[in-house]
Amino acid sequence: MASKIVSLTLNGREIEIMVKPLMTVQTLVREQLGYTATKAGCKQGGCGGCTVLVDGEPMQSCLLPVEDIAGRQVTTLEGLTPSDGLHPIQEAFYENFATQCGFCTPGMILVVKALLDRNPSPSREEIVDSLTGNYCRCTGYEPIIQAVSDAAQRMNGR
Amino acid sequence: MTVAEQPLNVVGQSVNRRDGLGHVTGKTVYVDDISFPDMLHLKMVRSPVPHAKINGIDFSEAEKVPGFVRALTHKDVPKNVYTILTLIGVGPDEEPVLAEDKVMYQGEQVAAIVAETEQAAMEAVSRVKLDLEELPAVFDVEEALKDGAPILKDWGTNYFVYDYEYDLQNPSRKVRFGDVEKGFAEADFIVEERYQTSPIEHAPTETTGCIAKPEPDGRITVYTNTQALFFTLDNTALILQVPFQKLHFVGGTVGGGFGGKVDVIVEPIATLAAMLTGHPVRYAFSREEEMRSSSSRGAWRMCFKDGVTKDGRILARQVTSYADAGAYNRHTPYAVTKHAANVAGPYRIPNVSIDAYCVYTNRQPSSAMRGFAVTPASFATEVQMDKIAETVGMDPWEIRFINAYRNGEMRPHQKEVEDATLIEVMQAAAELVGHELSEDYKQMSSGWGE
Amino acid sequence: MTTKEYFLPQSLDEALNILAEHPSVLTMAGGTIAMPLINGGISMPEMVMGLRQAGLDMVSQSNGTVSIGATTTFSQIMDMDSIPMLQEAARNVGGWAIRNMATVGGNLFSPPPSGDFAVALLALDAEVKLVSHKGERMVPLSEFYTGFMTTALEPGELLTEIQVPVPEGQTAYLKYGRRYANTPAVVAVAVHVVMDKKKVKDARIALNAVAPHPIRATQAEGALVGSALDEGSIAAAAAAAAEACEPFTDSIASEWYRRKMVDVYVQRTLARLV
Repeated sequence: MASKIVSLTLNGREIEIMVKPLMTVQTLVREQLGYTATKAGCKQGGCGGCTVLVDGEPMQSCLLPVEDIAGRQVTTLEGLTPSDGLHPIQEAFYENFATQCGFCTPGMILVVKALLDRNPSPSREEIVDSLTGNYCRCTGYEPIIQAVSDAAQRMNGR
Repeated sequence: MTVAEQPLNVVGQSVNRRDGLGHVTGKTVYVDDISFPDMLHLKMVRSPVPHAKINGIDFSEAEKVPGFVRALTHKDVPKNVYTILTLIGVGPDEEPVLAEDKVMYQGEQVAAIVAETEQAAMEAVSRVKLDLEELPAVFDVEEALKDGAPILKDWGTNYFVYDYEYDLQNPSRKVRFGDVEKGFAEADFIVEERYQTSPIEHAPTETTGCIAKPEPDGRITVYTNTQALFFTLDNTALILQVPFQKLHFVGGTVGGGFGGKVDVIVEPIATLAAMLTGHPVRYAFSREEEMRSSSSRGAWRMCFKDGVTKDGRILARQVTSYADAGAYNRHTPYAVTKHAANVAGPYRIPNVSIDAYCVYTNRQPSSAMRGFAVTPASFATEVQMDKIAETVGMDPWEIRFINAYRNGEMRPHQKEVEDATLIEVMQAAAELVGHELSEDYKQMSSGWGE
Repeated sequence: MTTKEYFLPQSLDEALNILAEHPSVLTMAGGTIAMPLINGGISMPEMVMGLRQAGLDMVSQSNGTVSIGATTTFSQIMDMDSIPMLQEAARNVGGWAIRNMATVGGNLFSPPPSGDFAVALLALDAEVKLVSHKGERMVPLSEFYTGFMTTALEPGELLTEIQVPVPEGQTAYLKYGRRYANTPAVVAVAVHVVMDKKKVKDARIALNAVAPHPIRATQAEGALVGSALDEGSIAAAAAAAAEACEPFTDSIASEWYRRKMVDVYVQRTLARLV
């Protein structure tokens, strides 16, 4: 089998991994490296649970061969979590009950990070438009939208 | 200070979720986040057709797939029947874990393939050849009850036979209260309507799944996202014919259930595979399996006939309901009982007759989902109330205030009303939405403390 | 079987060589169509070729024609101001992450009712460039689709570029899905109308999700040409479009409903031009 060695930066650390042909970023982070915050909800790119950031851009890791992003910067939720305390987006989700079963939460938080990095004060419509690729079956989305507004305020207030 | 007078420290406060920190950091552990180096993967061979006799299964091509470990058929299952109803005192159990001589719905589990990787298991499944002889199928509840419909159950009917039914010509779950014919005769209006709800897929973001792991001391640890941990353990033990203490179920972290993870479907076969291979075995639904083969909310057909006076009082209500259980019982016979107890609605009606049927069709088996059997009833009851209002020419709020049951009154299934609050809730709702109620309705009460 | 080889060519030439040497290779760009099938065990290709690094995502403009590389993503299109209707169509595909991955070329091969971007290209008289070792040829998009999931692409060929003339007249695009966003279409409509004083000189009405592939509603177009663009002519065109299309029933919508919605949405889309 034609495995390849790929270098990339994961959560700020440069790594070198051996990847089997067509292995996805989802399989890499979850199964090979044990970073299980990124979820597998459908493996079809439909639910957004596998969202990671590649050079700050949201992508569905279940559809993304590792080789395609050699040399790039990949961020998972583990990369956002400080060693002490919480990132303001995480605080906002926690305080606003924007998480119930928690399965959609990692994907949501990363998309929100990407949004707020580009647009520090998004309107409600902009928030909704950014999250249309992330599927939640528990909250009805409203607490999540409020959490994003709250997160924006927390981040702007600092 | 009495207990009642002490200040409340938690009630009325906003309390963060205990698991919230795990969720927002991604540290909460779900079944799929657990893995073992020697773990095997189980994928299921499923029936491609809704109703057929199984004449044979050919595994010869599947066995050649690199990574194939073994196949399991019904012959490997010690007690090849899902026992969920037995444990809640409703019988009979009739759904096989793995199909024996026939399949009853498209997607039914026929044989399990265990392999070293998920891809190998999927490929082996695709190479299993099923020799099936298709049989006529039925997909509609009323069609299933007609003469001449293909009979789906070994006991000779397409309906569940309630064990203390007293009318063998009419095998429904019954409620009889007063005399509906008399009520209709005295009514000024008859309001009739048929209501149909859809089967709804729970579609949890996390699919159903488990990992069964043999331990060195002879026990098996099963990591599972079932909503009903001990219930699932008990059923698994009964199916595998092992003492309950052999099994150690670990769970409680569920990535969305909504009633869709109570059917005990994946644990028994995964545990059996673990016992037979000596390896941890993972069996989880793909998204397609979750959508197409896992249970959905049952679809209900509800036929209402109400006799109503010109001042809006319901004198008689007759309901005939059909639950589409799909191919197997699961929890539906229990649901039909709940439905019969609730479909008259929270209303004071002196004459009520309810017949609720649990009907089998060759569709995906239905099962629990939020408000099991009562949410569809509420839909029908409340639309019916609006239709009554329209027919009589009264306001929909008024119709409900007039007919709401009060504490101490008798419900059609012979239970006295306790803790009724419909009137108080409607008064609060009217205020919230800015709907002006007349003084009469503002003064009404459900009869607390009387 | 698990895929045994994954090629990631760094140029078009390399890609063509791989295609020539391994004719059965499965070609993908964004992966949004192929990877779900592979992940689900429905497609089990021995060899796969990914085009993300083959340099086919350049956008340029000259002489009134915009050339869009086949692996240009929808996110890139949303930043491309030269043809606003394409930006609107791109906005209607998937969610943010999917738009960062899915490509304009891939959308031309997606199974119905997908093709919500392709329908806009069809209304703009786009042409596609097909390249092989034998050379290259341009095919109008209206001739590119040959049937249900079949195209004019020959073995050994790759679709490398889409050429779109900057529209002369007015354009409008509407997609009707059952959800607010990230949803398959019940129907998607793209129109391009050129006026000569108060009369319609030329019209293109393209429909998606009501046929085995995106189609032009040619009878409806004919009904408009020569008329004023008003309520009456729009209604006539919409009715003609509804009658001529061949919708299908799927889990999104029934044939009956789709046909009704063609009428409604062609009217609404054309009304935006008035």
